Amino acid sequence: MPLPAETVIAAEGLSVAPDGIRLAVRLPWYRSLPLSTVVIEALSIDGTDVPLDVLRFELDDGSWTLAELADATDRLWFVLDSAHLKMPAGVDLDPARDHVVDLTITIFPPYIPGLRRANRQAETLRLAA
Amino acid sequence: MTTARGPQTGATLYAFTNEYLTRQYDFEGLLREIARRGLGPGVEVIGFQSIRTFPEVSDAFVERFKELMAELQLRPTSLAINSDRFLKPGQPISDAELIDYHKRQMVSAAKLGFPVVRYQFASPPAIVAELAPFAEDLGLKMGLEVHAPAHANHPMVVAYREMYAKVNSPALGWIPDFGGTAFRIPPSFLASARARGVPEGLIDLLLDIWPEPGAPPERVGKLHQFAAKAGYKPEHVQIVSLAFFILSNHDPKSWAELVPETVHIHGKFYGVDEDGREEAIDYDTVLRIFRDGGYAGSICSEWEGHAYSNADAFMQVEQHQAMCRRILAS
Repeated sequence: MPLPAETVIAAEGLSVAPDGIRLAVRLPWYRSLPLSTVVIEALSIDGTDVPLDVLRFELDDGSWTLAELADATDRLWFVLDSAHLKMPAGVDLDPARDHVVDLTITIFPPYIPGLRRANRQAETLRLAA
Repeated sequence: MTTARGPQTGATLYAFTNEYLTRQYDFEGLLREIARRGLGPGVEVIGFQSIRTFPEVSDAFVERFKELMAELQLRPTSLAINSDRFLKPGQPISDAELIDYHKRQMVSAAKLGFPVVRYQFASPPAIVAELAPFAEDLGLKMGLEVHAPAHANHPMVVAYREMYAKVNSPALGWIPDFGGTAFRIPPSFLASARARGVPEGLIDLLLDIWPEPGAPPERVGKLHQFAAKAGYKPEHVQIVSLAFFILSNHDPKSWAELVPETVHIHGKFYGVDEDGREEAIDYDTVLRIFRDGGYAGSICSEWEGHAYSNADAFMQVEQHQAMCRRILAS
């Protein structure tokens, strides 16, 4: 298991709802950061890359395309909260078997110029209803 | 020599980052556990770690925090603030915006009853100079966290010392962080690196290059160069590189120059061995400098081993405070 401040896949894992599948994700840092300093770098499931432009990032009642995150300077991701990556309806995963989820989130802490920290984590997960 | 009792113990919630991020303890839970184990009375809080609405705080949050401090007989010592100039990577906000960003955090610190805000090198001297009168009006002190690779006479610190002399504000002071005066890389750091698969050859490179003179980026660059040639994995190189940014090996006696204007102390540590000594920092020397220099303010136990280890932070802090008490009584 990665250290807590290096964890990007949240304990809640994968879940399915009528509008699509969601992956719960964590901020890999010790303090809250603005969404504009967080980059969802790569996601693959069972070895297949998920195209990043179809994903939405959801936090509380907000929802962004991954490209829109870069402008969300005034929206903090509170460090204890899970956010979700929502896949579009039509992306299906077999609920009866394990899936290998591999996610990389890169952060640019806004008070440490030049620091770019990539955090990659792979977990074997099952869909929860 | 004075008859001061020396620094008063406490803890920074940063020490419990792993217990907090894994949701074993929330903010109130951490405060209660610190009180229950007698690890106060001082408490340092990281604004952006513990407070959901930071830089702002609601009246209800302030009221609850004060109730808790009173109930648990804890004392707010220092609130860590951040200079988030790069809200977009590579694109700095203006000085005026950055000053306002600091002021919002300072107002929150004052509302919560913290006597000190801890600021970092990311807040440049010119900005801190402008904030000094604002801090005075709020009844706050601003302490620069003198963090590795810096020490009392490092050029980065000298720039603030010159500014302090010019501004001459009672609000401006220092927060020594002992990571700048480590005599070696903590054995617990090396053990963790080995447990995570870092090869001995890369450990040897780290041990060779870390004590060399030069700024961390230069020395890390050198390590990366050698490591690339030898074909070590990037994730292993990242693990050992951390040592250059959290620790440097300057003379612990250099802290003496900062004692008179010290407003809080970061008792940085990584582990206390079986003989009750810190693995990498000479607390026997450092703490006596502050005690004998008349410092009677707060010291918070800042266990930073959580950056590489899942050990129990409460136990670590307990051992650190026992060590501090032994030294201060000697």
